[in-house]
Amino acid sequence: MSELYTASGSKVHAHKADIFCRDETRVDWHSKALWALREKRDRAAGSLPEWEQLRLLGSQLKLHTLSHLAQYLEQFEQQCISNGIKVHWAKDAQQHNEIVHGILAQHQVKKLVKSKSMLTEECHMNPYLERHGIEVVDTDLGERIIQLAHMPPSHIVVPAIHMKKEEVGELFHQQLGTKAGESDPLYLTRAARAHLREKFLSADAAMTGVNMAIADQGAIVVCTNEGNADMGANLPKLQLHSMGIDKVLPDMDSAGVLLRTLARNATGQPITTYSSFYRGPQDGGEMHVIIVDNGRTEMMKDKILAESLKCIRCGGCLNTCPVYRRSGGYSYNYTIPGPIGIAVGAKHDDTNSIPWACTLCGSCTYVCPTMVPLDKIIAHHRRLKAQAKTLPYGKGGYMPLVGRFMASETLMNTSMSAARLALRVLPGSLLKPFSGAWGKYRELPVAPESSFASWYNKNRRR
Amino acid sequence: MSSKQTILSALSQSALDNHAMPEIDVVANNDDLVGQFNASLQSVAATLHTDGGLASLQQAVDDLIKQNMQVISLIEGIKGNRSVPTTAHLLADIDYAVIPGDLGVAENGAIWVNQPSHRVTPFICENLILALSKDNIVANMHQAVKQVSLQQGDLGLFISGPSKTADIEQALVVGAHGACSLNVYLY
Amino acid sequence: MKIALFIPCLVNQMMPEVAIATLTLLEKLGHEVFFPAGQTCCGQPMTNSGCFDEAKNTTLKLLNAFKGVECDAIVCPAASCLVAAKENFHEFDGSKEAQDVINKLYELTEFLHDVAPIKSFKRPVAAKISLQMSCHGIRMLNLATPTEEMGKQRFNKVEAVLGNIAGLEIVYPARIDECCGFGGTFAVDEGAVSAKMGKDKAQAHAATGAKYAVGFDPSCLLHLDGMIRRQQLPIETRHIAQIINDAL
Repeated sequence: MSELYTASGSKVHAHKADIFCRDETRVDWHSKALWALREKRDRAAGSLPEWEQLRLLGSQLKLHTLSHLAQYLEQFEQQCISNGIKVHWAKDAQQHNEIVHGILAQHQVKKLVKSKSMLTEECHMNPYLERHGIEVVDTDLGERIIQLAHMPPSHIVVPAIHMKKEEVGELFHQQLGTKAGESDPLYLTRAARAHLREKFLSADAAMTGVNMAIADQGAIVVCTNEGNADMGANLPKLQLHSMGIDKVLPDMDSAGVLLRTLARNATGQPITTYSSFYRGPQDGGEMHVIIVDNGRTEMMKDKILAESLKCIRCGGCLNTCPVYRRSGGYSYNYTIPGPIGIAVGAKHDDTNSIPWACTLCGSCTYVCPTMVPLDKIIAHHRRLKAQAKTLPYGKGGYMPLVGRFMASETLMNTSMSAARLALRVLPGSLLKPFSGAWGKYRELPVAPESSFASWYNKNRRR
Repeated sequence: MSSKQTILSALSQSALDNHAMPEIDVVANNDDLVGQFNASLQSVAATLHTDGGLASLQQAVDDLIKQNMQVISLIEGIKGNRSVPTTAHLLADIDYAVIPGDLGVAENGAIWVNQPSHRVTPFICENLILALSKDNIVANMHQAVKQVSLQQGDLGLFISGPSKTADIEQALVVGAHGACSLNVYLY
Repeated sequence: MKIALFIPCLVNQMMPEVAIATLTLLEKLGHEVFFPAGQTCCGQPMTNSGCFDEAKNTTLKLLNAFKGVECDAIVCPAASCLVAAKENFHEFDGSKEAQDVINKLYELTEFLHDVAPIKSFKRPVAAKISLQMSCHGIRMLNLATPTEEMGKQRFNKVEAVLGNIAGLEIVYPARIDECCGFGGTFAVDEGAVSAKMGKDKAQAHAATGAKYAVGFDPSCLLHLDGMIRRQQLPIETRHIAQIINDAL
């Protein structure tokens, strides 16, 4: 799939998806791997009789927080400061990167270890720091794999899900010196453990993402299975944590709700191995929190789009999405793929195609632990693109024609009558080339002799 | 205008209606908390020891020391063969860390550990042992978050099982960057 | 009851047998059934792509075909078109008359489950059928609890309506309510993914060993039918109206 990422040419979703779909065995493998996560989620969610109540609570507490966001952000900042945590505000990605660099440069940091943070991906922080002479080591195993492979994550929770173990084995052999041909996940994980341990122990600073920021405590919560965020944050004396403004929660009770649904919905586990609440720096250490907007306040000006900010980044919508599973994380022309990727990324998609990488099936909406109305948001993005006259796939040209056609009974009846006749009379070999995408993959419909309306007129109309 | 002011003032243009904070009132399953806790621990690849309390923990520690393991204990009354070093990095060769747990959560096997010194101790050790009182097990996270202690300036965390990953072809591997095993002693 | 039929453009032009079966079964159940003239497309192909202006004319024409029409219910054998009609009528016409039409709109399964249940069937239908649980019906019309949703109160109106037909064995494909991939213009815009979704779904139905893949959404059935015949799978598509009609 790396050729899908690196290939130049069209970034339009359907074109990338078409390339992805050419290797059907691979698509089946990819789709099955993600569906397995959906199945695990179903088992975990189904084991709690109160699951739907938790989803509703998650939605309500998020809506409450978002509708009082300024107040909670200010409370969070005040509490952080009284805990000895330094707080910074960044209006956009550029400013975020500058602030982070500023802190690191001030401490003459040469090596930064970083745990998973989609926000830092969104801000393209790694290349920025590297341009300024700072080595950034991604320490989550999946993230390290794709870092070594010079690729971005293809999923927000399992970044290397598109890679086979043999491919990881080959990568580690080339870059970490593991045995050639060795692809046992246990062996490769142990090799990564040793390799990254050295990085943790020699790092000058650490950075983590933030799963939750608790306003009345002035604490940030980091959830991992691997322990990499905490190995990083607790060895060097300088720790940084970047968060979107949407990560703040009022109190510990709110965190309690989301800590019950996050991991269950992501991977089917009852909770991640570590849920760490940092309420201040280590002895003799420094702790910084960078609060980032980067388009979030803009989204909040639209009532429908604002609900995207309830997202807790569990990845459940990706796992269930039949289109994501068959097109892969590199086809969405944005940092985050899948349904939530369309929700938060559609405005940035210069191909204007990602809102149509969806059948509006609604599975994502029903899976979401905070009831983000993803299908409604995606449909809204389509409307926004239509209003802005930035429709893809030639729709701007043909939709007005279709509208006129559909509104005319006469036109519909005469042309469909001709179509039915053609379908019945003309050989398939003649018809298929004109039937476009439909006929490329399917047999053409068996055409009836006449419409229902004419049957009705003949047999029932008084 | 500072970025903070820019952001806060942009929020005043939010289109969201006012929503009240919901009442969080979820029914807890309080049946056989130790049994639930044990089942949860097993599901996250941890092992529970219920017999013999702290005495059997000390016995286990002594056995490990006999096998030349490096064992540090942060529990008063449990003695290892290593003491808290001057810098956290010196814990890199610890085979077993024995740390007190404040509270256990039956629904997911999580145990609250509060401000260990050094903070990295529960993560850097090759294997982790936690001990907690059987009277300090609650049913679920709603109860747990109301009871855990997190002082200003501190680190507190829930630990549920040993570290793990499934990042390579979704194959579960126990032991990623944190501890490779977790044994829990209930007293 | 006096029932007006809403027959969407796709069904009218390409799958009249579904409309005929719907009309026939409702007549057999003792209802007075008629088909108001002047029905145009509900506008879904346009509105699904955010093109509301382009849909206005056809949507309002369709609405007008039902405004003021004397009937107890308006029944439609196509879930996605029904959902679109309700949404689009509401979008373009806030009048009480429009709301009266919307209030009378029912998809066939929900009509036969909620409003006028079938007391008894007359003939057996000896066949194993694999149910096509289409997305609009499941997630937007509440015809059954979607698999994503948890909790004890699960329901399935489709199974309830068909369940009393003697000889019928109802089975489900793996990934019961995963989308079939038609998605309207999606089938053309995202041809490769649509085809792969359709192929997977068609194979899942065939793998049950069922004689028919039976659904309540003609668009899905048309798409699956095309895939089934391309893949030469030993299964055929039928609409629930046809199965019910055969049993009455």
